[in-house]
Amino acid sequence: MTNAFRPNRSLTGQAWTILLGVEAALFLLAWTFGDAYSIPGPYDVLQALGKAIREDGLLYELGVSFRINAEALAISTVISVGLAWLSVLPSVRPIVAVLSRARFLGLAGFVTVFTFAFGGGHALKVSLLTFGISVFFLTSMASVIASIPRADWDQARSLRMSEWRSVWEIAVLGKADETFEMFRQNAAIGWVMLTMVEGLVRSEGGVGGILLNSTRYRNFAAVFAVQIAVALLGAGQDRLIAYIKDKVCPHSALTLERN
Amino acid sequence: MGFNDLANQALEGSDPAHETRHSRVGQYSLGEVLVRTTDVTLSFQNKDNPDDPPKIVLKPTSIEVRDIVRPGLAQGQVIGLLGPSGIGKSQFSRILAGLQKPTSGQVLVSDFEKDKTGATLRPVEAGHVGMVAQDYPLFRWRTVLGNLIVALEHTTLSRKDKVAKATEYLQLFDVSELAEKYPAQLSGGQRQRIAIIRQLLCAEHFIVMDEPFTGLDPISKEIVCEVINKVATLHEHNTIFVVAHDITALCQISDQLWLFGRDRDEQDRVIPGATVKTKFDLIERGLAWQPGIYETQPFTDFVREVRQEFRHL
Repeated sequence: MTNAFRPNRSLTGQAWTILLGVEAALFLLAWTFGDAYSIPGPYDVLQALGKAIREDGLLYELGVSFRINAEALAISTVISVGLAWLSVLPSVRPIVAVLSRARFLGLAGFVTVFTFAFGGGHALKVSLLTFGISVFFLTSMASVIASIPRADWDQARSLRMSEWRSVWEIAVLGKADETFEMFRQNAAIGWVMLTMVEGLVRSEGGVGGILLNSTRYRNFAAVFAVQIAVALLGAGQDRLIAYIKDKVCPHSALTLERN
Repeated sequence: MGFNDLANQALEGSDPAHETRHSRVGQYSLGEVLVRTTDVTLSFQNKDNPDDPPKIVLKPTSIEVRDIVRPGLAQGQVIGLLGPSGIGKSQFSRILAGLQKPTSGQVLVSDFEKDKTGATLRPVEAGHVGMVAQDYPLFRWRTVLGNLIVALEHTTLSRKDKVAKATEYLQLFDVSELAEKYPAQLSGGQRQRIAIIRQLLCAEHFIVMDEPFTGLDPISKEIVCEVINKVATLHEHNTIFVVAHDITALCQISDQLWLFGRDRDEQDRVIPGATVKTKFDLIERGLAWQPGIYETQPFTDFVREVRQEFRHL
């Protein structure tokens, strides 16, 4: 067990079980007996979770939010990854640079413009979320493509590949594992932004609406319940993407110390 | 007549091809020109200050490699490129491999696709001359077999034939069991062999190896030398350019050894721009094609001579 407190050591399965058990117990103890006004106890949260599922349709709202997030994520992926791959063209790089800077802009400032451009309700939510995810996704993906060393391109050229074939081999296939990783991170960022977007556009509902209503009425137990539900769904989504990445890119974990 | 004289004579228009020659290691003749560089130069303009004079890396460099024909043998050859660090050897090898355009001059290589004898020359393009970089790069996302098959993409072979040819080469180099492994699962020596096989499959006969001995222990160096010699003797036209700092290892495998150096002015200051200053013909000296030659006194004396020359580059 002493390895748990030394850097870069590995643990046996049994040691992991003990470690996780102890940390979970400490967390539950602190949560149960902690004396913070704004943090409800585990029992209250469980009760609120049950109520939210039965009376507020939490599962349905989660489904609505998941669908919006998935839709925005799909569009963002096409835009961001496509533009990042195309950043091999000097003519596209200024566009990428400008769009990357847009990550400093607040979503609230785009509500009116996007309403005119895409309409209200569902389309507005998806467009706002797509914008929010894309600027971060594009920045990270463009950085991945820009950091490809010359030796990698040379390797492809030395195998008689044309420049476009080299782009396919090096930037698309070669960076597939990193693309999956960026996708995973931005899928999570999508959930963070989603509640904000659902707060800005209340039509269709979604967990963002429940969260904001519960916060307004200081129903902290309900807030925690929704947060836990979102975290569990997000963790499942994270796990699924990681699983697909491992299946599609089995090479990516071969050199890691923590296998 | 030494190699320098032969090369100069060829460049001046005289044709010593197929002239039978006798060296201490046997009879041979020089065949078709396989690789020729004509007044290749390389310089870089300072992008921040375009008014600055360009940085000259290579002065006009003309070299020629002719096929070495030995009766009854498939005799490829190894050309060693030696020179101090940062002098421009790697840039020259990139030019040879068609990965870097020279500022002026031309590189021609035999066009085996048009003429199997190698008599027809064509301007080099990336892929005509294979490049095995120092860290033996492979596509880490492809298996070993996948890495080899992708090298045959330019051919008209069917997928089945590509797999068969790649498998044949894996067997030839005793690494068949690695076919389904990923590069991350290979040792350094295995990576090197796969990288060489891949370039052999793609470039067919010409390979440039950049610093293949760096960081290797003496035993590993010997293994690398064996692999290079094996590749050289696989086919009559196989020509391997080895860029390295290790004088002994390079002398051990080379048939020709070219020393890159720079001129000096009257105050003994280096004049920018390197070129091939000295060429050693190890065949003429009887130091090529003989197993165990590196344990003999003539070889030791030769290494000392090269080392002496190296100090003045």
